[in-house]
Amino acid sequence: MTESDWEGLVVSSHTLNLKWIQESKTMPPKLDTTGLQIKKNTVLVSHGRPPWYDEAGNRISDAFVVGIAGGSGSGKTHVARQIVRSLGSIPSVIILSQDSFYKKHTPEELAIAHANLFDFDHPNSIDMDLFSACLKDLKECKQSNIPVYSFTTHQREEEGKYLYGAAIIITEGIMALQDSKLRDLYDLKLFVQCDSDLMLARRLKRDVAERGRSVDGILEQYLRFVKPAYDNYVLPSQRHADIIVPGSNNQVAIELICTHIQRKLHERANHFRPKMAIPHLYQSPSGKKFPESTLEELQLTVMPKTRQLEGIFTILRSKTSSRQDFIFFVDRLSTILVEHALQFLPYADKSVITPTEASFAGTTMSAKHVCGVSILRSGGALERGFRRVFNNVPMGSLLVQSHGEHGEPLMLHVMLPVCVRQRHLAEEAFVFLLDAQIGTGAAAFMAIRVLLDHGVKQEHIIFVTFLVARGGGISILRRAFPRIKIVTGGVDDAMQEGWLDSYQGQDGRQVWAMLPGLGQIGDRYYL
Amino acid sequence: MATSSPVPPPQPATNKSQMNPLPPSVFTLPQTAQLEALYTIIRSKETSRGDFLFYSDRIIRLLVEEGLNHLPVVKKVVETPTGATYEGVGFEGKICGVSILRAGEAMEAGLREVCRSVRIGKILIQRDEETALPKLFYSKFPQDIASRYVLLLDPMLGKGRVPTGGSAIKAIEVLMENGVPEERIIFINLISAPEGLRNFCGKYPLVKVITGWIDQGLNEKAYIIPGLGDFGERR
Repeated sequence: MTESDWEGLVVSSHTLNLKWIQESKTMPPKLDTTGLQIKKNTVLVSHGRPPWYDEAGNRISDAFVVGIAGGSGSGKTHVARQIVRSLGSIPSVIILSQDSFYKKHTPEELAIAHANLFDFDHPNSIDMDLFSACLKDLKECKQSNIPVYSFTTHQREEEGKYLYGAAIIITEGIMALQDSKLRDLYDLKLFVQCDSDLMLARRLKRDVAERGRSVDGILEQYLRFVKPAYDNYVLPSQRHADIIVPGSNNQVAIELICTHIQRKLHERANHFRPKMAIPHLYQSPSGKKFPESTLEELQLTVMPKTRQLEGIFTILRSKTSSRQDFIFFVDRLSTILVEHALQFLPYADKSVITPTEASFAGTTMSAKHVCGVSILRSGGALERGFRRVFNNVPMGSLLVQSHGEHGEPLMLHVMLPVCVRQRHLAEEAFVFLLDAQIGTGAAAFMAIRVLLDHGVKQEHIIFVTFLVARGGGISILRRAFPRIKIVTGGVDDAMQEGWLDSYQGQDGRQVWAMLPGLGQIGDRYYL
Repeated sequence: MATSSPVPPPQPATNKSQMNPLPPSVFTLPQTAQLEALYTIIRSKETSRGDFLFYSDRIIRLLVEEGLNHLPVVKKVVETPTGATYEGVGFEGKICGVSILRAGEAMEAGLREVCRSVRIGKILIQRDEETALPKLFYSKFPQDIASRYVLLLDPMLGKGRVPTGGSAIKAIEVLMENGVPEERIIFINLISAPEGLRNFCGKYPLVKVITGWIDQGLNEKAYIIPGLGDFGERR
């Protein structure tokens, strides 16, 4: 049954020393999870998710999965939340509750459930296949649409809940260690051990206070279902656990667990932006230098150089152009680019009858699902142009920002259209990915990885951009994703290394600018 | 147009399926599948008004973009925000639009999306029932039209009674009477009939014609087939 916060009964006075985290420069961004509202079945994002893939575009590692089992009232949720709080420095985490995976009920079962006679504590009440399938997807950094179970109707709801992008997954439930399919997915298995009388006391207190149940009713259910299930299934599953956590006064245990998780995450951290930005300056792992790619190797679809296009670019590149002009010509250029990019959609023959009753053998765009995804902020500058070409397709966005200290891209926000969220639709969807320019390629790389994680085919990703730096990250991007389409207004030759001075207390960091470039398109378009 | 232009103007169309030889002053859009898909939508009699508006606007924008490429440019060096210099081009010469009423007006919104705050003149030409020839009923132009490049707008070339292309020919005549040189006029239309193109280009070979699609011909009621019906009515 649902767990609630056991704050009232558990003595919790955790003052963890996070100093060692702050001293470590290479750690992911610092954040404070102590004040975080820790909701279940929600991806909690702190200061963004650093790259979870290498420069070849492959996933470096799976998400770190912790399974927490224990009796009802033992304090599993509390342990899960304490772990999240104490981790202190985490990119993104989700607490996945076993309650979401109660099976769909037949009408007969429903009647029993409403009479409080249904055994929710039996392993058979959980859809273990679905549970492990969802957890497997999440572990492999794919999206998952987990079921939503309503305790008021005792039924699974029609609409699921979309989850994506957690670097740490904490699964909790009385049967969390029950099924071998689930156990195989855990990196760390915990069992919360608690005395039966304490568990019953907590359960009584919770159900009376929060659910308005009678003491008699609670005791009857306890004796009929909860206690036998605990003795027969839950308690025996503790032999699978790596660590037995006490159900109260467990700060030391949690601290040890967090130290372990931190170390594992640290081992997985990866930093590759400097190498991406100007690839031919860096050595590849094999010691061989990346040669600068030729235009043919990059397979860019560059807009034909017409007088108007050249004139538009001249206005956009000039630093003296007014904001009004800049916005107008950005909108015009993005419209032209998106029109040009349409060549990568599939077309089928279609005949129509005209108002003059003649027939015309034409074509029709035959993609089942088309959507746009802009990489914020500067990708938003292409949205108006995109909308002039597509008035009726969904539009999503990704917010990728560079980390203030080391310039790594961080995924801060993922808002994708339904046709990408649902894996079976994503496999057929064509996605126009919009960003103002491909310089270091770090944001583009991350955005493409997000789409691939969701099941979008490489050849269905059409990247539309104003400008590509030939000497920049594009060659690594192309090597990692050889089949995506890249449509660009122009190609600049160089990337210039620079140093961004410290700003508002942040340290200065290395930045790269394109030459001759367009400047900061997001700033020029929006600010 | 300047011969030493930094970027060459568009080359004549290569699509000659409906008309061979194509007059050298005629330019079409690249006949791609996606363009064909746009035409398939606006040609279908099942298409709603909303879709007709949206998709015809898209074609008009493409046509205007193509038409503007015939305007001259000059070398221009600018400094970029990164401090680099860029050798680009600057637009040269003022332009204005002239729409042939009534259907040509429907192309003005598309023109303004590409050419912000462009001046637009208007011409109303109708058939004189006595002489059966096109007659100017009304015209209103920017005062300095003689010094501007003119984008003449009419969605269909060749529609209507004999002589086909007559109202466009009359419009050029009026523009030239107002001092606009023939070679400074760019005529933009979505669909043209070969008969109309032949008449028009025979009369004014220096006017650039930008047409989205060249259709089969005219039916007995002088409608372009397959065409798209009455453009003005469908907007």
